[in-house]
Amino acid sequence: MGGAERTARKRRQQTQAARAVSQARGASADRKRVIVTVVAVVVVAVAVIGGVIWINASKNSTEGQAITTGTNSAPATPPVAGVVEKRDGAVVLTGKPDAKKSIDVYADFLCPICGEFQKAYGPQIEQAVNSGQLLVRYHMVPLLNKSSDPPGYSLDSANASLAAADSGKFTAYHDALFKNQPEEGGRGYDKGQLVKLGQDLGITDPKFAEAVNGGTYNQAINDAYQQTLKDPNLEQTFPNGKKGFGTPSIVVGGKVVNWQQPGWLQQALAG
Amino acid sequence: MLRPSQAVLDGVGVLARLGLAAVWLISGALKISEPGQTYIAVQAYDVLPHVLVGPVATMLPLLELLLGLFLLAGLWTRQVAGASLLLLLVLIAGIAQSWARGLSIDCGCFGGGGQVAPGQTEYPQEILRDSGFLLLAVWLLVRPSSWFSVDRWLGRGRGNSAAPAPDYSEVPEGN
Repeated sequence: MGGAERTARKRRQQTQAARAVSQARGASADRKRVIVTVVAVVVVAVAVIGGVIWINASKNSTEGQAITTGTNSAPATPPVAGVVEKRDGAVVLTGKPDAKKSIDVYADFLCPICGEFQKAYGPQIEQAVNSGQLLVRYHMVPLLNKSSDPPGYSLDSANASLAAADSGKFTAYHDALFKNQPEEGGRGYDKGQLVKLGQDLGITDPKFAEAVNGGTYNQAINDAYQQTLKDPNLEQTFPNGKKGFGTPSIVVGGKVVNWQQPGWLQQALAG
Repeated sequence: MLRPSQAVLDGVGVLARLGLAAVWLISGALKISEPGQTYIAVQAYDVLPHVLVGPVATMLPLLELLLGLFLLAGLWTRQVAGASLLLLLVLIAGIAQSWARGLSIDCGCFGGGGQVAPGQTEYPQEILRDSGFLLLAVWLLVRPSSWFSVDRWLGRGRGNSAAPAPDYSEVPEGN
């Protein structure tokens, strides 16, 4: 066997070995790639399906729920003797007719800060109303009508609360909606749920359901809202110096008061 | 000229990758934790037709979380960096159009969002911040290779995920 031949055989063997190694390496790299791709596809599928289900469940959490009656602190109380609830267009007036003081409350049932306001001062305001000190004019403001998904909860709830006022159940209805306030950007409550709440509060008049479903007061609410936006007395100055209307707005003696400053209600009752 | 070593560049790559991953994971998590608020934020840009607001508000946090996960793992880094770049450009365009049209909104980039009082907008800061994230994405698009990545484990080339880096070790100096 010559040296050249031996060298050639050795080279051939080396080449074969190298090919085998690279094939083995390629096979293992391919397997890794397949595993990684499968894992990645599964992760994407689980994340998208799970995420969509979770988000929809969260946004539609009000679906099929009954709106519970009762205030933040106590179950719904029947109106105190002498306290009158009177609807005037898109405004509801509550209180004893001989009350000396009055305030105006502009709020949206979807607005989170309005919910905070109601939680903080609702009970005190109602106490002052029941004791005959205070008249309250509740203005329904559909400011966030586009901010539910589907849109329309602001207006539907405002309309329903006016319909409840016709049956003398405004305060209880108002309190229940704020107590069960839906999340902004979420589903809100539909008309069926709004009707059910009225019935749970003891409204038997069939006109109530008709008014809720038919949007009887929608036009009045929207018209009043346009006036509200133009009212210079309702213009407030925000911390950055800009001016505009916002909810909630509490008006005492023709002026918007800063309700976040404790004692404003006492001043309104005393002043 | 002093060229940074591959190790230094890989180190920068790791920082860019994990930094951008953190951005997406945090912003996605904050958005998905408050779906209602995210809906309001998307709506406030006032760009999309009504029927698309819901789907976009749903998919945006999921997309962000997935981009974050892939960057964290270092899988398909170049493609994910490209997707990140596109998404950031869309988000910056959204903020810019709100600014140009004089809307008063918060970008909702990291949760929150929606209308704010005029004068409480922070458009320049928001755009500047997103541009910073954009640079991370550009780095990874140009040079996706980095340590601790699935791409590296899969044996993708150093310095370039598409092809192995050329080996210049045998080229004499001064060529």
